[in-house]
Amino acid sequence: MTPLIYALIVGVAMGALIQRVRASSPAMIAANLRLENLSVIKFMATTIAVGAILAYVIAAFIGKDAMHFDIKPTYVVGVLLGGLVFGVGFGLGGYCPGTCVVGAGEGRKDALMALLGGVVGAFFFTLLFSSVIAPINKLMDYGKLTLDQVLGLPAVGVAIGLGAIFLGVVYMLPTEVKKG
Amino acid sequence: MAHSATQAPPVAAASSSPIPGWAKFGAIFGVVSALSILTWGPIGVSGTYPRFIGAVFRRLTPGLAHANPYLEKMGSLIKPETFLVIGLLIGGFLAAKLSGDKAQGAEYIHTGETSTAKRYRDAFLGGFLIVFGSRIAGGCTSGHIISGITQLSVSGLIFAAGVFATGIATAKLMHKGAK
Repeated sequence: MTPLIYALIVGVAMGALIQRVRASSPAMIAANLRLENLSVIKFMATTIAVGAILAYVIAAFIGKDAMHFDIKPTYVVGVLLGGLVFGVGFGLGGYCPGTCVVGAGEGRKDALMALLGGVVGAFFFTLLFSSVIAPINKLMDYGKLTLDQVLGLPAVGVAIGLGAIFLGVVYMLPTEVKKG
Repeated sequence: MAHSATQAPPVAAASSSPIPGWAKFGAIFGVVSALSILTWGPIGVSGTYPRFIGAVFRRLTPGLAHANPYLEKMGSLIKPETFLVIGLLIGGFLAAKLSGDKAQGAEYIHTGETSTAKRYRDAFLGGFLIVFGSRIAGGCTSGHIISGITQLSVSGLIFAAGVFATGIATAKLMHKGAK
């Protein structure tokens, strides 16, 4: 029961943050993908940097097994293909599966259309999974692979290094990009 | 005296210049995301879509639902992730209400969208592709990009590279003819 309540609280905070940074505005997402305004990309990179450093520093103190890490498998072909398909939808509609829920909460009607499209997409996916998707996802499957394993370095060090690089890049990048 | 008085406000404004929204909200979200991993698990949204399909099918045609390996694999809707998604709806509603933001019903996002119908078409097709794509990959912006890279997973980096490659190309192509 308690995890459900934690998740609900995290969801409310996440929804409010997404709304405040205007990531639930599809026009803002389109401006970010056209690289005219980088605020949402900088928001995401900051989130990742702070989250990675904090999660792995906590893990260094209390032990990784006391945390609820859940690494998704690296099946290279399926993950890349999924990302490429996702990107087309992201650029076309300006929503992702979470921001359209936030947008619906805000009262955006096009967010409801994106949600409906998502439900229909999930329906077709369940029909095609066994015959089409599962074989693709068996290709180049490296399992639960993390950067610290690839580099052969301690996870907390890699998290701090990656976080520092993300924060450095974000700090140097402009938010509003002048069109040349 | 008058001279220094006119100069004072800009100086004071500069020294108390607020942290940009993306930095402030990004830092808070980073803390929330780490606490999420500490308390129950990494954030992720897209798996709730097929779990919702599964819940509907188990009510309508239980036989068909149990015969579908993907719906069986994804399991019940009674999961933290479902409550996360409900939270997103509440969070979006509350933040808009408390800040007084009036969201537009349909926001045109590129030059191809000249009517509400065309905007709805793009939102629907976009919604279809983002969920279909994220289910192929096993996660979306939250599960793969935010939580994935936060946990240093290689899959998150590969997914992000794919998303931004076609995302940037599509958004630019759809905006042809803009000044």
